[in-house]
Amino acid sequence: MRTKLGPISLLIVGFLAASCPLFAHHGNASYDTAKTVTVSGTVIEYVWANPHVFLKVDAKDESGNTSHWVIEAQNAVNQANAGWSKDTFKPGDQVTIDATPAKNGRPIGRFKGRILINGQVFKP
Amino acid sequence: MPTRSIWTVSPMALILTAVLLPILGAQTVPPKSVDDIKIDKWNSVPLHGTAYAGLKSAPAPRHDLSGIWDATGDPTNIPPPGIQPTGAFEHRAVLPDNNSPPGGEPDERNIPNPLPYTPLGEATLEAHKPTGLGVRSVPAVLGNDPVDICDPPGFPRMDLSEFRTIEITQTGDQVIVLNQFYRTWRTIWTDGRELPKDPEPRFNGYSVGKWVDDYTFVVQTVGMNEKTWIDNQGRPHSSELKVEERFHRVDHDHLELTVTIDDPKMYTKPWLALHNFPLKLQPRGFDIRELYCSPSDFAEYNKEIGDPSIAPPVK
Repeated sequence: MRTKLGPISLLIVGFLAASCPLFAHHGNASYDTAKTVTVSGTVIEYVWANPHVFLKVDAKDESGNTSHWVIEAQNAVNQANAGWSKDTFKPGDQVTIDATPAKNGRPIGRFKGRILINGQVFKP
Repeated sequence: MPTRSIWTVSPMALILTAVLLPILGAQTVPPKSVDDIKIDKWNSVPLHGTAYAGLKSAPAPRHDLSGIWDATGDPTNIPPPGIQPTGAFEHRAVLPDNNSPPGGEPDERNIPNPLPYTPLGEATLEAHKPTGLGVRSVPAVLGNDPVDICDPPGFPRMDLSEFRTIEITQTGDQVIVLNQFYRTWRTIWTDGRELPKDPEPRFNGYSVGKWVDDYTFVVQTVGMNEKTWIDNQGRPHSSELKVEERFHRVDHDHLELTVTIDDPKMYTKPWLALHNFPLKLQPRGFDIRELYCSPSDFAEYNKEIGDPSIAPPVK
């Protein structure tokens, strides 16, 4: 069993998450790294694969319209090293995620830091 | 000699044992060597740099590189040099403030330590469109990085980008390097053979190596396929590329790699791509997680993220 580092690993993961642009491999130029959006909604699908792990989230805006967000992380090895797994999210989970949005305004983002899953802060 | 039954131990000793055992068992025994550190037996996660604190490494074994080595370094040291999209160690293709221009720029004149390109080298660089971090980055589906269509990274790119966990194994006449990224491997011959004079191009080239002292193994490689890039930044090479690697085993747990690029068609002088780049030995039993390039996974990624991320802006 791996040693639990508790607060230290949270710090490290927080730092990794905050530093995502440095690790981004594909499509760095597509994102507006100066911006942060918060996506709240229901997990539709979680894809644990390469080149990048990604999460589909249906989010409702103030007017009640649903946006189909796709939020990407890094490859599965990097995510595993940061404490994620194939079971981190499951369909139906209620999530709140801070993300770097695509420049073109479409509902595509990259994980940027804060992740809440069913009201709990995600602690790998 | 009469055998002493356990039941002859005094009741007080039994009570003390019963009280103390759980307490002692709960104490963590400090690891004495890297092999004492507990890891997941499957899909092991490389140790953080802090795991090595307090360990006193044994001396380096003579003429021995074998083991599982990790190059991802300490996650607090971001980006670990040489392995990520920033490019070669002494010529990172990022601006100090990480302010990559949108859509990329043709050359790298603005980076702090530009490479000594020949005119052909610079023209070839301009034709390469990388998609990661860096001053020349373009959106994912506008790039032409061969690795993004699952071509083999080839050599020396496997040392210079996505350099992660490797396994080195030795036989009587070979040193074999097994790479996690895209599950590639290469053979370094140690049987004294000469490098080929006019080789057919290979993604990983042709390698021979020899021990120059008890702990330093030097490898020469030629014959690389011109389709490959040198790093994630699209640094070019020609068929005249020669690469020297120096693996120096510092002690039992630490290995350093220095890589020199020499290609007179593309660069006016040889340059250091890695300089004493640290690799850390992983505990015995470390199981390397696979990291393949799957064309169908890549197509799914481009459908869901790559293509829509460069679609016309939403009104």
